Amino acid sequence: MSRAKVISYSPWVAHFNTGACNGCDIEVLATLTPLYDPERFGVKLSPSIRHADILIVTGAVTKKAAERLKRLYEQMPRPKYVIAVGACAIDGGVFSKSYSVVAGADRVVPVDVYVPGCPPRPEAILDGILQLVQKLRSGGVSGGSK
Amino acid sequence: MEALSELLKEYALTTYSVKPNRLVIEIPKERVKNALKVIKEKHGDTGIYVSTIVGTDFPDKKQVRLDYYLVTHPDDKVYVLRTWLSREDPRVDSILDLFPGALSGECETHDLLGVVFEGNPFIKREFFAPTDVASKGVFPLRKDSGV
Repeated sequence: MSRAKVISYSPWVAHFNTGACNGCDIEVLATLTPLYDPERFGVKLSPSIRHADILIVTGAVTKKAAERLKRLYEQMPRPKYVIAVGACAIDGGVFSKSYSVVAGADRVVPVDVYVPGCPPRPEAILDGILQLVQKLRSGGVSGGSK
Repeated sequence: MEALSELLKEYALTTYSVKPNRLVIEIPKERVKNALKVIKEKHGDTGIYVSTIVGTDFPDKKQVRLDYYLVTHPDDKVYVLRTWLSREDPRVDSILDLFPGALSGECETHDLLGVVFEGNPFIKREFFAPTDVASKGVFPLRKDSGV
């Protein structure tokens, strides 16, 4: 069985705010509560980025956060995946032309799933994670291979 | 507790209210630190804090406006200590030794607007501004910075 398929049965997520207004963050937090019960799919919040399989990025990536985002991504074990949550993480949203913003998360790290919304509903975020899981089961994505 | 406006009578140039619970007291820049010292002595360590420092650029007036937002405890009254600095050389005494909580406000106002807080050893560029902006020597909150 491929590594990607193994982690698809219990992907651990880490959450990083690269400059969000906290709108997406509270929705990500809500996604991880028993109300939406992501653990029925084996989805758990990772205690450390070094144990994480999926990185959830929220917010427009500022120039300062871009370095940190890259460093975090490099610390994740392979295979690794990134989900961009919210309009800002996708392309910078309304902040895309700001002097301090790089724009979307995909300018810094490879993004596998985009979840649009301002902010997206917890159902949408969970659906995004599950779409990634399905892709892993079918062997569709390699995840941070060199 | 005696109202702040009463306390600062001899320091104030003008005093006016912009909205409920938002009394603005304008004082000359040389006397900012002294005025804050008087306030601190009256209210003590736990009776007042600087909630934020707001700098605004006025290119047409060739001035930078500096607002110190003070909140008293426990009556929760907000006072704005307002002062005007020259745009070419905006300098004012640091109040860090009186109010350590003013650190982030002073660092931010220096990095984004170029105000020099004399006596604050921690002010530097790139506190908030990204490297490419700071290295150009421009201050993002100046209206003519072009960023």
